Amino acid sequence: MKTDDLIERLTSDLEPASPWWVTRRILIGLGSGAFFSALLMIFWLGVRPDLMDAMTGTMFWVKFAYTLACSAVLAAALIRVARPGGSMGSLAWSLAAPFALVGGMALWRLANADPVIARGMVMGDSAEVCPWRIAVLSIPILAGAIWALRGLAPTRLVLSGLVAGGCAGAIGAWIYAFHCDESAAAFVALWYTAGMAVTALLGALAGRRLLRW
Amino acid sequence: MDQTEAQLRALMLAGLAGDAAAHRALLGELGRLLRRYYARRMGFGTPEAEDLVQETLIAVHTRRATYDPQQPFTAWAYAIARYKMIDHLRRMKVRPSSPLEAASDLFTDGGAEDLVVKRDLDKVLAQVSARTSALIRDVKVEGLSTREAAQKHGLSETAVKVAVHRGLKALTAKFGGAGEN
Repeated sequence: MKTDDLIERLTSDLEPASPWWVTRRILIGLGSGAFFSALLMIFWLGVRPDLMDAMTGTMFWVKFAYTLACSAVLAAALIRVARPGGSMGSLAWSLAAPFALVGGMALWRLANADPVIARGMVMGDSAEVCPWRIAVLSIPILAGAIWALRGLAPTRLVLSGLVAGGCAGAIGAWIYAFHCDESAAAFVALWYTAGMAVTALLGALAGRRLLRW
Repeated sequence: MDQTEAQLRALMLAGLAGDAAAHRALLGELGRLLRRYYARRMGFGTPEAEDLVQETLIAVHTRRATYDPQQPFTAWAYAIARYKMIDHLRRMKVRPSSPLEAASDLFTDGGAEDLVVKRDLDKVLAQVSARTSALIRDVKVEGLSTREAAQKHGLSETAVKVAVHRGLKALTAKFGGAGEN
């Protein structure tokens, strides 16, 4: 087919394009993934029975804010890398802020604690399952993010997969926090972050293959 | 450069708002720029270069909503063009194909047509004799050289060339010359 004919065919009934298309599609992908992830958390792990009590303490909200801040920064980054030529830019630094806050809090508390108790703060009761559970809870969200990206136009596939995985991991960790009853900043800084990192890696691996267009 | 940016960006914004004429003008102008871009990299007038032009135009069109009006348009379009070339080269490495000869207009459409062409190939080739069909398939689709095809079918090279040429001519006559490029 001649290129001119192609152009004629493509433009014959042109519809206006929404400037919010990219944002909307990514939020739909992440949102529906998060819905399934929440169901998975409720039926597989269960909401922590002391949720109402926990909500009166600080640590619940530290977990809540840390995971939600990472989710927001990474969702914004996802909207960037979903466009041709997009990169994370300064958002990579914004991601360091919540981590530095929780990490700083963790170090400060560890420094002021008895060494035996400090070990308990780092390992908690669920260090060996926490990152994996977060990764499993994040899979529906990662699937939603990949679905969204496949309809958009990422040109750096591994980076886009990494950001999609990181964002899915952060939202998954946020959902996991409704089950998890660990209450040490060190535990969150280490194992929650590890769960997000595992999912980010998974996303990078998936991105190379699944995001081509 | 600045002038190109301003002109193309204006056309793009109008096209995004639904102005079909502006969008058509944009794709036409981009087509010219892309042809030059790919020609410099893939060789002038090669079927690959024209396929890439078309593939990129389709991508620019179908994914136009991913353009962020806050960003330069040329950077956006360039990122797509570059991505399509890298993707093409990556594919070539996995599944190298030999260049098609000039007479094979019928099968060089490429781009969005590719899938349709592959699916319809069997139907089309059923219109000529089994031997001609096998020869066309080997030479034009599988990418065997005339010599290889001749050896495979126990024919002379000339016989292969003639059979393929006549077969394609018959098919072109039957299905019209829509494949001209």
